[in-house]
Amino acid sequence: MKQITNRAVSVLLLAAFVIVGTLLYVIRFVDHGQDWAAAYSRENAGASGALIDRNGVVLASYSPYESLFQEDAELRQANYHVTGDYYGRTGTGLLTDYQDYSLFTGTSRSQNAVLYLNIDSELNRRAWQVLDGRPGAVLVTNYKTGELLCMVSSPTIDPLDAEPDPPEGAYLNRCLSASFVPGSVFKLVTAAAAIEKMPDLSERRFFCEGSVEIAGVTIVCSGYHGEQTFEEALSNSCNVAFSQIAIELGQQTMVKKVRELGFLDSQRLDGIPSVAGSFPTDFVGDPELGWAGVGQSTDLICPYAMLRYVSAIANDGVLQGPQLVRDGSTGSAERLLKAETAKALQRLMHYNVINGYGAGRFPGLELCAKTGTAERGDGSSNAWFVGFLADEEHPYAFVVMIERGGSGLGAAGSAANEILQFAVNR
Amino acid sequence: MPNSEMLLTLSRVVMILCSLSVIIRCLRSMLRDRYDPETWAFLKIGKQQLLPVTHWENLLGRSRSADLQLEGKDIRRFHAVLRRTEDGAWRLFDVFGRGGVWVNGSAVTRDGLPLESGDAIRLGGTTLRFLDADEARRERLDSIRSPVGKRVSPVLTLLELTVFQLFLLMQHALSALPEDLPGIALSFALLILLEWSCFNAMRVIGRSGFEAETLAFYLTSLGFSVCAASAPEDTVRQALIALVSVILFLLAGIWMRSLKRAETLRLPAALLALLLLAANYVLGSEINGARNWIVFGGFSFQPSELVKVAYVYVGASTLDRLYRRRNLFAFIVFSAICVGVLALLGDFGTALIFFVTFLIISFLRSGSIATVFLALAGAGMAGMLAVSVKPHIARRFAVWGHVWEDRFDAGYQQTRAMSAAAAGGLFGKGAGAGWLHQTRMNAASNTDLVFGILSEELGLIIALCSIAAVLLLAFFAVRSARNGRSSFYAIGACAATGLMLTQLSLNVFGSMDLLPFTGVPFPFVSKGGSSLLCCWLLLAFIKSADNRKDASFAVSSGFLPRKVKKEAKA
Repeated sequence: MKQITNRAVSVLLLAAFVIVGTLLYVIRFVDHGQDWAAAYSRENAGASGALIDRNGVVLASYSPYESLFQEDAELRQANYHVTGDYYGRTGTGLLTDYQDYSLFTGTSRSQNAVLYLNIDSELNRRAWQVLDGRPGAVLVTNYKTGELLCMVSSPTIDPLDAEPDPPEGAYLNRCLSASFVPGSVFKLVTAAAAIEKMPDLSERRFFCEGSVEIAGVTIVCSGYHGEQTFEEALSNSCNVAFSQIAIELGQQTMVKKVRELGFLDSQRLDGIPSVAGSFPTDFVGDPELGWAGVGQSTDLICPYAMLRYVSAIANDGVLQGPQLVRDGSTGSAERLLKAETAKALQRLMHYNVINGYGAGRFPGLELCAKTGTAERGDGSSNAWFVGFLADEEHPYAFVVMIERGGSGLGAAGSAANEILQFAVNR
Repeated sequence: MPNSEMLLTLSRVVMILCSLSVIIRCLRSMLRDRYDPETWAFLKIGKQQLLPVTHWENLLGRSRSADLQLEGKDIRRFHAVLRRTEDGAWRLFDVFGRGGVWVNGSAVTRDGLPLESGDAIRLGGTTLRFLDADEARRERLDSIRSPVGKRVSPVLTLLELTVFQLFLLMQHALSALPEDLPGIALSFALLILLEWSCFNAMRVIGRSGFEAETLAFYLTSLGFSVCAASAPEDTVRQALIALVSVILFLLAGIWMRSLKRAETLRLPAALLALLLLAANYVLGSEINGARNWIVFGGFSFQPSELVKVAYVYVGASTLDRLYRRRNLFAFIVFSAICVGVLALLGDFGTALIFFVTFLIISFLRSGSIATVFLALAGAGMAGMLAVSVKPHIARRFAVWGHVWEDRFDAGYQQTRAMSAAAAGGLFGKGAGAGWLHQTRMNAASNTDLVFGILSEELGLIIALCSIAAVLLLAFFAVRSARNGRSSFYAIGACAATGLMLTQLSLNVFGSMDLLPFTGVPFPFVSKGGSSLLCCWLLLAFIKSADNRKDASFAVSSGFLPRKVKKEAKA
């Protein structure tokens, strides 16, 4: 008997195995519970719901037994990065992300499973058509109300397709989940710092002879601009002038400004996080700071962060929203920069369009904007066009970014024109 | 509705407190009650020393793991077996067949010689005197053993369990469809009635150990909750199956009171098991890739569940038989057939459970001679397992540890179970309020993924309590086994809990991606009549090893029945 009961320890070994396994499970539960819960958020969050755009178009609806999508295939694809899909393949879609989780209470059942969006799905369709398969991002927001009207990332997939063969990066929401070399649109940031820190800015003149040598490194400009005022320098997008301004302001001032404007942190769009951008924060020499001041060097900007900035400029420094989902509130308001700075930037961006880009390219639009043709270092350029409409009826701020799109004005500028024409004529 | 939200919160708190308390009280009861051995006879060594004989089967020898450790000339490590039968007769065996055992001068063989009180036993060069303890003396010895159930009141524990069940029912009342509610309420009422009847029956016959039953009823009520959520139309049937299971549990326990009775049925049980497996092989229907179901007349059952009980029954054996090689060999062949047939049926999970149980039983049984044989047999059976690796099983192995990378295909079930479990948090969404139980969306969720349902609806804490309940049964069995009268009971109890633990780990860790997903039921909780019945019958083995004083109904008082006493007097 004793011999046998001594061997009964083998059962306790099995019990120890169960205990160790259970502890391991609890650790994993605490660590990854949120991800697990999010993976089947539709099931976890509640019985049924729908995503409905600002004009009452039902983009997706679901119950425990059915998952429905908008019938129009183009509309499904254009709105893919807003809705996401029932498989959670893209990280930012509302079907995946709109839920509360805590370790204690698990997933809370969504009080309002029917979500009314600020998005105009037809505007998304137009933006998607304009991008025409080129990788890029388009964002349009109403800077007065904070309603996010348009969010399109390209390329995309049809969410109904269970096993798609997507182009590379189709699941990536370029508006929120990626950051890009900003190029000259970054001069709006350098300009903001200059306006605040250089009291004699309006009297200053900047001389450009096509390039400038700083500590043995040559910073090249897009042209020979001669003697310029500050506003001329911005509308010329003069690298010589702005790299010298950045160096004169110093790295500390620049970093402080970039951080203040929210470019270095992850921002949230209704709880969905965006990626943080980058700017050289560790000490670099003057030449590198010069390049960083004109949006090159190691600068990276997330399109959503840029939208927040231009939206704040347009609204006299106060960032309204942006809100993807209507929740009955007016959304948050946050002062991003001083009213005088914002107003000065508004004037500069208006001057850009009138004297730099040509108002004729944008018929009927009260446009204030800045272009960017950002060298990616591989010979290609990201085309940026960011700005807003100084129009009481259509107070729209926008960001258009086309990866490897070529010229900022040519590619992104004309795309922005088409999208904005559609938006104001809705 | 704020009212139902408040009720839900209240019931969560009460249910978690009751669960923890039931578990802790059962644990305390098991820890604090003393496991005093019974004394059946004495061995007198020299003039002074009396060695109490505390089992019905005792190994005599020099070894520290001998039950009666003897020092003396020419005594081997394991020398002889002293065995008592139910009617109080003693017998001495030379099970090792090496000679050197005498009773009153006659040499003892493998078949043994009867032993009377006062007889002289000679082992090698040492002589001992055997003194039987008569009824009167045993009664006196028994009266000083500690009683059970005095320190932790079993009534209060059962009362807490009932409160738990009532609040569980209330949560279902909040979530269930009105037409399903009467059935659910009836099933819970039946369960509560059943546990109190069972408890009172024990009281009437003077048995006060109720920890194991309480834990089993706790797990069974979790199973009722899963059934009410996933298949409300089956709740009454589930209650009736529970009723039948508990009745059979009681009958099995009473049956096993008598070692002789229990022993005689081992061969028929083995034959029945083989017959069931054969019938399964011929008549079986395939459900979810494994052909382990027999369906007739709208009633389906899994023969392999009953075979589990028979297997433990066959595997348990008395000490004097353990050391006969032929006996071991027969068991190995029997095991190999069981695992082989299950492998052929594609029931990989059950085959694995049998294999682990085989390892436990063989380890408990094997002496030094048989170990090699058993290891060989084990390897052979592992080979059979390999044969059973069919495509759907190979896929499950391939995805093990990577379920999230393949969540739309091979990791489909696990990721859903894990996600639902996480969505329940610590406190759960409320019984019946989850989504994983929806069997039309999630095949086999109320059996294989049942841990996910428990976590989602009742929360992680109660899900962990369910694991703790099975663990407690195991600790209890191992602890009881120490004082078991016969190795039959000790092996039976350990094998039964070993089987439950294996099933538990395959179920929980399989669905939560810590082990490959094999699809076996969680003991007592998973929906399914055969599984519930099997678990209650296995519980009878645990009860039959518990011989704390007047604790278990499945252990006879140890005194002669009145009828026999009268005959003796005459």
